[in-house]
Amino acid sequence: MAIPLRPFGRHDVKVSALAFGGHHLGDAEDQATAIRLVREAVDGGITFFDNCWEYHRGKAEEWMGTGLKGIRDRVFLMTKVCTHGRDKALALRMLDESLRRLQTDHLDLWQVHGVSFENDPDLFIRPNGAAEALAHAKKEGKVRFVGFTGHKDPEIHLKMLATGFPFDSVQMPLNPFDATFRSFEQKVLPELNRRGIAALGMKPLQGHGDAIKKGALTAEEGLRYAMSLPVTTTITGIDKLEILHQNLKLAQNFQPMSAAEMQALRDRCKQYAADGRFELYKVSLKFDNPEARLSHNFPLDMQQVEVKEMLGASQNDGSPYPKFSESKS
Amino acid sequence: MNRRKFIEVTGAAIAGGNLMAQSNGNGQVPMRALGRTGVQVSALGVGGYHLGSASSQDEAKRIVDTAIDAGINFFDNAWDYHDGQSEEWMGAALKGKRDRVVLMTKVCTHGRDKQTAMRMLEESLHRLGTDHLDVWQIHEVIYYDDPDLIFRPNGAAEALVQAKKDGKVRFVGFTGHKDPAIHLKMLAQGFPFDTVQMPLNCLDASFRSFEQQVLPEANRRGIAVLGMKSLGGSGEMVRHGAVTAADALRYAMSLPVATTISGMENLNVLQQNLEIARGFHPLSAQEMQRIRDQVRNEASDGRYELFKTTKKYDGDVGREQHGYPTAEELPL
Repeated sequence: MAIPLRPFGRHDVKVSALAFGGHHLGDAEDQATAIRLVREAVDGGITFFDNCWEYHRGKAEEWMGTGLKGIRDRVFLMTKVCTHGRDKALALRMLDESLRRLQTDHLDLWQVHGVSFENDPDLFIRPNGAAEALAHAKKEGKVRFVGFTGHKDPEIHLKMLATGFPFDSVQMPLNPFDATFRSFEQKVLPELNRRGIAALGMKPLQGHGDAIKKGALTAEEGLRYAMSLPVTTTITGIDKLEILHQNLKLAQNFQPMSAAEMQALRDRCKQYAADGRFELYKVSLKFDNPEARLSHNFPLDMQQVEVKEMLGASQNDGSPYPKFSESKS
Repeated sequence: MNRRKFIEVTGAAIAGGNLMAQSNGNGQVPMRALGRTGVQVSALGVGGYHLGSASSQDEAKRIVDTAIDAGINFFDNAWDYHDGQSEEWMGAALKGKRDRVVLMTKVCTHGRDKQTAMRMLEESLHRLGTDHLDVWQIHEVIYYDDPDLIFRPNGAAEALVQAKKDGKVRFVGFTGHKDPAIHLKMLAQGFPFDTVQMPLNCLDASFRSFEQQVLPEANRRGIAVLGMKSLGGSGEMVRHGAVTAADALRYAMSLPVATTISGMENLNVLQQNLEIARGFHPLSAQEMQRIRDQVRNEASDGRYELFKTTKKYDGDVGREQHGYPTAEELPL
């Protein structure tokens, strides 16, 4: 059995219905494990690989690049740029760094990362903003397609679409909880389908799988639900071989849920979903990316346990992008 | 939350402003139409929660008396404010003056049934010392399943209809501080709401915005809009220097609303608000845009509108009724 392939939006390109999330790759035990995860995933039929300039301060890209050595052409490679509202020049420097870490001369998809704040669309589309970097990189042949991603609010996604920029893809949280709470599924997904923009689902298990741990649903139900939506692919985090094997098995034998099954799952999750506590990325400032907050000049509470954990995880010392700070405009 | 500290900051901020510039000379608090009801209300309303935070019942009475003498006629309350103390103090203070005011309180079923709502209504009437309310609103519509719970058979919506029919309330509405989408879902039910209450302030204008999404819809339908949280709930936007209290209140009062409900737990704050409300002229479109632009960056992550972005303003009773853990138990 092979993992189903689906069209990438309006383009004549197909990608696997399950995608390999780059952040969790950086959580793998060591580089050897990461390389093995990547290679076994490709052998198992996963063609879509997700990453991001800032995941684990570059480690996630480096490990993925090493894992893909010699098989780069067999995959559809995406990474994201982390300007967080800053300018075109910074974005293009990040692109070159991502290409170097990923050991390739081009990306299949390059997306603006972390569109989470109400003023992000304005910052994106302003003269000399990240929008110009996307257009420029495409023209130069360094990226084939461009898009954006965010986990906060469907309205911000719609504002990005309203800028009129010709996005090829849009990434967003899609899961049975999202279906009834500040819902990307209801508000953004139909709009993307209408425009022929590839919809990339993420957080099929609500990010940390809290609801699964509490028994509201199973991981298999969550993943099957997300994959049954009208999306190009569903990006899921894979940091261990056993997780990879479970996901491969599910994806290789994937049968879409019926409309009735999907509705039953939405109904079951609805009462848990209604205050958003299982989708903390939507509701809490504490789950904002500290890098993004810093580059927006939003304050961080350095004493907050969660902030300390996040800064520790990203090895950030509280200053934005030490390596790129001189280009901050 | 530290409301006391906020009051001090607010006072200082207002004292530094050029207040008389807004006066139109006749010194009255403007009256405005309460939607399509035919009733006129003062552009500034007394918030019931803060009245229950006054230093004593005597102070609460002085606040109510002074407000009425100054031309304020809109009084807000809720069944659950300070476990009933807010309604009791307001009721006592309004003794003999009940007919001079437009009295509103809210019912706190939090998804529970019609009977619970009707029982709460009787309790509110008793505490407020009156036989009828001018406005009765469903409190704290802040969860995504609330519209379904309210409009289910035997839900709170039926209580609103019954109470109106019984002559115990003249007008009905709802309130919530969380998400414009939930308000729109309530309006989409087609229920004949007379009023709707929502957070309206200069930061809301560019963050998950009731001003942009709900206010025009309510205006279009002729539903009276009651603004609240003009300073962010506890003055967060003022305390952190995003805007002065005077500008923030003027901004809120300049929107197309029937009234702006403000928490005033002592005479100082009331007087400061009256300085702005007396002879109030709405800000020009340019002035409003200047204030929006000034606070846009602070607004963009919602950190001074914590009622939208955290569980801090969500009542424990409501969370309990929905089967949710308390705010303290969540990593928010």
